[in-house]
Amino acid sequence: MQDKILVHINKILENKNNVQLNKLTNSMHLRDDIGLDSLDLAELTVRIESEFGIDIFENGIINTVGEIIKILENGAKK
Amino acid sequence: MVQKNKLFLVDEGSISTYDDLIKDLNKLNKLPVIINDRSAYKIFLHLLASIIYDFPVTIIDSDFSDNEVKALGFSENDLKGYFNIEHAVKVNELNIFDSFDNTNNWKLTIFTSGTSGVPKKVSHNLSSLIRMVKVDAKRFNNIWGFAFNPTHIAGLQVFFQAVMNWNSIVNLFGKSRKRIYQLVEKYDITNISATPTFYRLLLPYENEFKSVVRLSCGGERFDQRLTLKLQSIFPNAQILNIYASTEAGTLFAAKGDLFELKPDLKGLVKIDNNELLIHKAYLGKSDIFIFEGDFYRTGDIVDVIKKNPLTFRFINRKNEMINVGGYKVDPLEVEEILNSHPFIIGSRVYGKKNSVLGNILIADVKLKDKISEKELINFLSDKIQMHKVPRIYNFVDEISVTRTGKIKRL
Repeated sequence: MQDKILVHINKILENKNNVQLNKLTNSMHLRDDIGLDSLDLAELTVRIESEFGIDIFENGIINTVGEIIKILENGAKK
Repeated sequence: MVQKNKLFLVDEGSISTYDDLIKDLNKLNKLPVIINDRSAYKIFLHLLASIIYDFPVTIIDSDFSDNEVKALGFSENDLKGYFNIEHAVKVNELNIFDSFDNTNNWKLTIFTSGTSGVPKKVSHNLSSLIRMVKVDAKRFNNIWGFAFNPTHIAGLQVFFQAVMNWNSIVNLFGKSRKRIYQLVEKYDITNISATPTFYRLLLPYENEFKSVVRLSCGGERFDQRLTLKLQSIFPNAQILNIYASTEAGTLFAAKGDLFELKPDLKGLVKIDNNELLIHKAYLGKSDIFIFEGDFYRTGDIVDVIKKNPLTFRFINRKNEMINVGGYKVDPLEVEEILNSHPFIIGSRVYGKKNSVLGNILIADVKLKDKISEKELINFLSDKIQMHKVPRIYNFVDEISVTRTGKIKRL
């Protein structure tokens, strides 16, 4: 799951001419550690939704990689 | 009397008091004709000075590219223009607002996102800008969380509301969620005015912030679900929905999504074919306004709930502007630039509903030669502001059109 999210995050970083990441950890903060701004987060929701069919920000802003995974795992169980 | 060291503006890394502001006002010997500063402090300082010395000014975003500035009708020399202050006024806390009552030449020109690819130029006189400002003793201790771009009308109106009451302003614009909450707590912020997009970034609920007593929300369609969630974060806040536009400034406020016309606006607002019309007496000045008799068509479509007193709810915009996080983007402007790329045959830019920004921009692009998403983003971001750059690209064989032959957008 982390690897799938990493692909989407790296795509955004690449388009911004930022350095791509080798690895994600659950505690990584999307804004503070990875440096995503609100435009980037909007893009991330679209990219993840097109793969998983889940709007990760539907119930408010989430902050960390772990929170994304939790939402996707909960969504998959339903 | 303002107490010594009362904070004027807290902006990341720089804190200034009203004493500093008055000192800096007294140091000025010239003023820019066009304010395009990055620093909120300098924008506010020059804005106040322009009123004191009754010089007309223009404010533009500091992140406009050279081409965007040119498209507004300015040359590089215009950006370097100055007014010389010849008879300096000794500004102090008693006389700082004296000139507010008698400006003759002062007007403020700002730009609003246009519908034809060129931003609309709108000039306001001071009385129209500060029409909704309320000054009284009970507001003296308000502390504002400043959540708009200071170059835009909503930000300017918050600025005047704050400064004319000697309130402290804490800049929250563009800050992260964590930082915003730290600032709310540290400075005991009491008032915030912002767009729904700004408030959405504050969710979900984690802690209560009791210092905030008033939140106002404007610039995008009212969001009932968001309001409920905000109420749990700010339990002591009264939440107001504001209707404002660059053309008219703030016009209406409501507790829910229903606006009721106040008696003093009677005759100045009317509704024709579900579109809101505003009397010219309530607008700034612009060559682009087209009046029907004495009324301006706002392009805002409303649903009339009651005739007397007139009560209505906003439905949407008549034109095709796309609201990206409170910024209006004209898809035609973006398409025009995309189409100027030698590898592109045609494009369609449209908004997709998004839980972070309200809408996110998508571009369908028909290519002549291969080009990557990254190259397209770099090409666009050299020419237009970041919020106008589409984030998702679909490379398509044909650009879809509506039955009337227009490009389909939503």
